[in-house]
Amino acid sequence: MNVVQINNLKYPKLLKQINKPPQRFYYKGVWDSSLFDNCLAVVGSRQMTGYGRRVTDQLVSKVARAGITIVSGFMYGIDAQAHKAALLAGGRTIAVMPCGIDLIHPEYQEELYKQILANGGLIISEFEGDFLPARWTYPRRNRIVAGLSQATLVVEAGQRSGSLITAALTKKYGRKLFAVPGPITSAVSQGTLQLIREGAGIVTGANDILGSYGLYPQENGRDNIASLGLSRMEQIVLKKLAQEPCEIDELSRVIKVSAAELGTVLSLMHIRGIVSKEEGKYYVS
Amino acid sequence: MLVKVASALNLGLNTMEMEVEVNVASRGLPAFDIVGLPTKAVAESKERVRTAIINSNIQFPERRIMVNLAPGDVPKEGSFYDLPIAVGILATVMGFKLPEKSVFFGELSLDGTLRHVKGALLLALFAREKGIKNIFLPKASANEAAVVKGVNVYPVESLSQLLFFLCGQITFELAVYKVNQSEQSVSAAEFDMSEVLGQEQAKRAMEIAAAGNHNLFMVGSPGSGKTMLARAFPGILPLLNEKESLDVTKIYSASGRIPPRGSLMTTRPFRAPHHTISPAGLIGGGSRIKPGEVSLAHRGVLFLDEFNEFPRTALEALRQPLEDGCISICRSKEKITFPSQFTLIASANPCPCGYLYHPKKTCICTRREIEKYKKRISGPVLDRIDLYVEVPVVDIKVLSCDERIKKSLELSEKIRQRVVKARDLQQRRFDKEGIYTNAEMRNKHIKKYCRLSKEVNQVLINAGANFQLSARAYFKMIKIARTVADLENVQDIEVSHIAEALQYRPQDKDGG
Repeated sequence: MNVVQINNLKYPKLLKQINKPPQRFYYKGVWDSSLFDNCLAVVGSRQMTGYGRRVTDQLVSKVARAGITIVSGFMYGIDAQAHKAALLAGGRTIAVMPCGIDLIHPEYQEELYKQILANGGLIISEFEGDFLPARWTYPRRNRIVAGLSQATLVVEAGQRSGSLITAALTKKYGRKLFAVPGPITSAVSQGTLQLIREGAGIVTGANDILGSYGLYPQENGRDNIASLGLSRMEQIVLKKLAQEPCEIDELSRVIKVSAAELGTVLSLMHIRGIVSKEEGKYYVS
Repeated sequence: MLVKVASALNLGLNTMEMEVEVNVASRGLPAFDIVGLPTKAVAESKERVRTAIINSNIQFPERRIMVNLAPGDVPKEGSFYDLPIAVGILATVMGFKLPEKSVFFGELSLDGTLRHVKGALLLALFAREKGIKNIFLPKASANEAAVVKGVNVYPVESLSQLLFFLCGQITFELAVYKVNQSEQSVSAAEFDMSEVLGQEQAKRAMEIAAAGNHNLFMVGSPGSGKTMLARAFPGILPLLNEKESLDVTKIYSASGRIPPRGSLMTTRPFRAPHHTISPAGLIGGGSRIKPGEVSLAHRGVLFLDEFNEFPRTALEALRQPLEDGCISICRSKEKITFPSQFTLIASANPCPCGYLYHPKKTCICTRREIEKYKKRISGPVLDRIDLYVEVPVVDIKVLSCDERIKKSLELSEKIRQRVVKARDLQQRRFDKEGIYTNAEMRNKHIKKYCRLSKEVNQVLINAGANFQLSARAYFKMIKIARTVADLENVQDIEVSHIAEALQYRPQDKDGG
């Protein structure tokens, strides 16, 4: 069985520093100490919005590409999205489970579970065997997520979100806390906005995070729109969508083009990867 | 003395000959019996007949009366045999001769007048087929039967009137088909498409659905306008032609849904059963087999709101009608087939609470609940639905203030004209194929009539990779593209057509 005792040399240094660190934890995957050199915890709401997803994808892919390990809690929503984005960017990621090491929770994310292991990541839990998750195991799990990482990024969190527990622990451990600002109208932005008010670092791009790891800021690599060879109509659509994501109906009213014609344009742009669709709205990808 | 009166028996949409044999014996104690597997309504007929005859100021014979409904092994139901039984009794007592090649059909009221009955149209069609010249029917049902030409329909008001006629003392004015004014309204739709604000894409999807007879699935939060759109849908469908109209009327006639003095159904039926409906209610059945909602929606629209809430058994039962355009109800004793060619419009919420992706309200469902909710509809049923469209919540207050938007709204009638043109095109194309619309195309038809150029094919292949289209979805896209091209009156499917069709692909859980 893969187990790391607290007196073992393998035991991550950062985790040892926290108040009441786990005496031992179990893991799956291939152990590589370098995984723990630079870790960023990415946590957030289970009720992820399209905005949350896009922000997670955007930030995590750049951070993971810079060689930072993404640590999260494997729950659906922002957590799972963070793992996925890290894998997609070719990075490594650690999932900390709220249940026994032999369980996959939630079980329908088995594919993600396998992917994490297949790409040099780790699954970690302080609970053995097939111990079932309970209300109290989630905060315990959160302290490991925060404890492993130099910094924690909260993407979206409601007013009573479990992510706020992770955020509080992060501050307690004296680590850096980042929060993504969201629309003040969104319920899952209330928690993150509160964190910002209380002094969390505001994140407007991956460079804000990379800077705190002493990594050289990367260039913002957005494709040059002019090089895509867009038609006039496509340019109009793109300009409008860059201002604000839109439903097709709304777009049709604003630029006064029939839904039929607009559907044609958007489908083709979608296939080419210029725009993407989430929750019925089109975004510039 | 024995008299035989011809009548008929309706079984599903079929009618069979029936004979009412009335014997008034000259000996024996007074009695009145009916044999020939009468159900309760038929057995009670003797009380109605007796009272109606007495109330028509005719003496009821105090003799032994025996009525046999032949053939004797088929159960008889309904109250239509009052008239032939009464006529039979009176003929034996009064000794008049019955006119040849005539059928009698009708229910008596206790005062001797006749009441509206169901199945009058079926009877008239049957009479024409069998060469029966005269039909005697209650006056309220005569207009329904008069649709059929070549048969004399006698609108009988009361028993005494009929008696005077049969004795040769008065003449009858035959019923002539009169178009009912209220039925002649152009559209059956409750709403006009121009009354629906916003929802440009959903309206377009409806236009395509109407043009190609595709089934449509709408997903949207409560209050987004799904129901209103569905109710506006019949207004953009082509009007019923004569044959279709007769088909629809037959079903309504058989289930007794034609009102007194009513006649041909000229508008497309719109049926919107509630989701608590039983499978028998949806597909037909009952101890006396009656057409269900799928048949009542024949040639029209079946709108299933809250599609995911329907019992699974009911939804699975939709497979045959969606595939074959008819539904067979089999029993140990009988098998009845009802036609059921309809456009299915299904609508559902995006999640159990209904507010997933809602701009203002928060969804309280867990992902597991949402997955479970979506899985309630089986793949085979979803496979038979071509078009998917999201119906977003619209801020009506904002839209209704904007005069420009109001002016740009299209009337149903205008959309209908385009639909009719596209349908004509399809009818000509499929002339020899035995199908009518694009939705009915099988793979061989798609190969023949939907040739894709290299460029179009490439778009479709790219889309397949990007959107993870299944093989089934791939064919749906081609069918929809065919309809889009037909709406534009274009011979070959072009890139723009397939691109628009892709808007209506089944959306996976991530919305992309």
